[in-house]
Amino acid sequence: MNDRSIAVGRALPAWGGLARLVLFFTQPVNLVFAGIAAIIAFLALYPSFFLLYGSLTDAPLGVPGHFTLRNYVQAYTDPTAYRLILTSFLFGIGASALSVFLALTLAWITIRTNAPYRRLFELTAIVPNILPPILISISWVLLLNPSNGLINVILVRLFGLTTAPFNIYSLPGLIFVEGLILTPLAFLIISAALKSMDPSLEESAKTLGSGEMGVATRITFPLMRPAILAAGTLNFVRAVESFDTPAIIALPARIEVFTTKIWREALGSFPTNHNLAAAYGVGILIIALLFVYLYRKFTSQIESFSTVTGKGFRPHQIDLGGWRYLASGVALSLLTMMVILPILLLMLVSILPYYHVPTWQTWQNLTLSNFHFALENQRVFRAFGNSIFLAVGGATLCMGIAALTAYLTIRTKIAARGLLEGLVFIPWAFPGTALALGLLWAYVDFPIPIYGTIWIIMIAYVTRFLPYGLRAVTSTIIQIHKELEEASTVCGAGFFATFRRILVPMMRPGIMAGWIILATTFMREFSATLFLYSPGSEALGPLLYFLYLDGMRGRVAAIGLIISLISVILIAIAQRLSRWDKR
Amino acid sequence: MKRTLNSIIGLLVVAVFAAGTASGQNPALVDAAKKEGGKVVIYGSLESDSMDAVNKVFQKKTGIQVEYWRASATKVMDRALSEYRAGKPGFDIILTNDNPMQLMLKEGIFAKYDSPSAKEFPKDAIDPNLGPRYRNVIIGVLYNKSQISPADAPKSLEDLVNPKYKGKLVMPDPTQHTTTTQWVASLHKLMGKEKADKYVRDLAAMKPILVESLLPAAERVSTGETPIAITYVKYAFIFGKKGAPLDHVRLPKMMGDGHYLTLGNKAQHPNAGKAFIDFFLGAESMKMIAQLGEFVNRKGVYPPLPDADKIQFVEMVDLDKKGFAEKKKEYTEIFLK
Repeated sequence: MNDRSIAVGRALPAWGGLARLVLFFTQPVNLVFAGIAAIIAFLALYPSFFLLYGSLTDAPLGVPGHFTLRNYVQAYTDPTAYRLILTSFLFGIGASALSVFLALTLAWITIRTNAPYRRLFELTAIVPNILPPILISISWVLLLNPSNGLINVILVRLFGLTTAPFNIYSLPGLIFVEGLILTPLAFLIISAALKSMDPSLEESAKTLGSGEMGVATRITFPLMRPAILAAGTLNFVRAVESFDTPAIIALPARIEVFTTKIWREALGSFPTNHNLAAAYGVGILIIALLFVYLYRKFTSQIESFSTVTGKGFRPHQIDLGGWRYLASGVALSLLTMMVILPILLLMLVSILPYYHVPTWQTWQNLTLSNFHFALENQRVFRAFGNSIFLAVGGATLCMGIAALTAYLTIRTKIAARGLLEGLVFIPWAFPGTALALGLLWAYVDFPIPIYGTIWIIMIAYVTRFLPYGLRAVTSTIIQIHKELEEASTVCGAGFFATFRRILVPMMRPGIMAGWIILATTFMREFSATLFLYSPGSEALGPLLYFLYLDGMRGRVAAIGLIISLISVILIAIAQRLSRWDKR
Repeated sequence: MKRTLNSIIGLLVVAVFAAGTASGQNPALVDAAKKEGGKVVIYGSLESDSMDAVNKVFQKKTGIQVEYWRASATKVMDRALSEYRAGKPGFDIILTNDNPMQLMLKEGIFAKYDSPSAKEFPKDAIDPNLGPRYRNVIIGVLYNKSQISPADAPKSLEDLVNPKYKGKLVMPDPTQHTTTTQWVASLHKLMGKEKADKYVRDLAAMKPILVESLLPAAERVSTGETPIAITYVKYAFIFGKKGAPLDHVRLPKMMGDGHYLTLGNKAQHPNAGKAFIDFFLGAESMKMIAQLGEFVNRKGVYPPLPDADKIQFVEMVDLDKKGFAEKKKEYTEIFLK
């Protein structure tokens, strides 16, 4: 063997690698994977790099510092941290379980039964996702506080009780309110999956003699496992990282959770210790990634959840007979807790000069001045315009990326596809204000001048909230059987044609559910927006925040109600577009 | 005819100049500001209603647009410092309270500007670097008159630890809320160290209801959920104006924090910034802010709150990063254990 052939022999593996790479990129699906991976990696890693760097240095961002592990030592060597993590865990599990239970009940009644007014209930169930969580917490404090909570006052007077029957300032109170806040997200994910479900298995069970309830408990709910787990996972992490509800309800009850500690030592310290906040964020990131892993493990046998096949179908609707009125009654009572009571309270707050338990005198002092402010103020108009643009544009962009990501992570066998899903969750794990600082640092000196414009907020939303969209669409793509794609491929359609003509229409309920979750969240988001908006790009979230900061609850309630109205219109349009029985 | 015309023009020039100086405006500064782009960008924590009222008149008088980014003091500092360190400061003026202003001063982000309007402020309210302390936010004791009669209301801070008020007091959590940490840590300025140390423990033993910040404390008193609060005195006026039955305890001395507004040394609109500072510290603007319930420091201007002119203001101690961390740790032991 001469030298030349030896050299060629050595070069061959390298050429082989290159050839494999060239071959990899000739496949359209691989090209899309590379493109999406590049976008997600950039969005997630670029700002997170600054935060991770911050967690390992002893100086604020922008100031030269020294490498240190002190932030991690401070965050995780305090034994109280673990006690508080346990409290947060109980709180997270409780709130998440309650939200999934309520969502499942409501989704089953509104999607799968013939209960009267089910369409109205379906629309109403999403409303709490529109209202800033802080407003819902305040509403429940005004309804159930032991001193003069409206419900307590009424019950005490009605039944001549000596003490108030309910105390919102307790762990059950905290779980109850957070559970109600989280229900719409679970409802959207679960109802999207219910809409996509082929009834053949249910019908087989019925043929074999199972009753309606038996079908529901033995067939329908087990098949819903991916959606239930998706909703439960998201809501658990949301509850664990939430600060607003614990600040309003847990603090007066002297219940401490993990976020209270993060606030005291990092975000609420003076000056704010973003380095420590980032170190805490890494802990939440590990929890979030653990849940992503568990979710993937529990849903790995995806074929068993594939109920949408090549056969035409209409989801099975259960005739409840006379029981349908009871089902409507159950849905109505759940929605009374979730929507009607808080909205009524907000209406009261919006027309009172200052909030107090109403007396006969109250009715003479009602005012519409808060609505006049909302409808006549230029700043409010501008904020509405900005928020609608961010909600519609941001949610659409996010769902486009989420749909492709879901396809690539669930349907393909490309190596590192699981990593793509993990990447999505990285920015989500950091506290909103800490992430905003990372984004500020990432984009303040970016070659394309987006800092100080509305586009930085759009990027922040896509970066932070992509997991919501991904979860919503993933749980429906799992249900779609591969035979549909295979049929399309056999007929000669390429990747793009199959994705556009087969998968997108089948995933439509999931895509629309994710779109609604995102659009309604973007309409009132403030923790990331607050730090990044410039006076010209002020959105509704910061506007509500500073009105709240200035003690103007009436104006916050009035604007909150108008946001709800606009969002309900947006949702109704979106639902009409996604309804299976109208197509 | 020509003489008459000259006289009229002369009178008009004098009138315009007089109007300009009466509102604290230097016409040359305003002209220079217009050449810079005719706008000023402010990052601050002054309540939006107060700022909107001032901005409206300033814009009308000068034609300079005001862009205001409103947030809490800590967020104002975080954003200003982050932008400054990145070499892209978007602000011309920072307007917030003493502690963050001192920290930003140490970071070297401010320019010194001696506004002609500053001479109307007491000498002890002027910081050599930051300028006049334009307002004090004063922390006192508020109570709900429909739940506690003035005769039964506490008369002093010491009264708050009387067992008859147990379960009736709300205050921000001193382990979380920075201004309250500072207030508790400054009590020795009112009652001496030994007495203050005992008082803090007695106050914690009353198991006050702890909330997030000073506003929720005032809101709980206005809604009647809790009858007494340690909070900003100005809320007695702000909520009282809407009909809430609130009054403040006439404490002989009350502590609080001072607020300043200062020009950034990398301001993109320095002349507009100076013109705004002149107007803001002027009589017209200070009166407008006082009418909205603020304790401004311009001589002879008070908010429309009963006995506002009798309040003796004591500035709280400044704490540094280490000081805050130590005090929060100490109060966690005292208030939460």
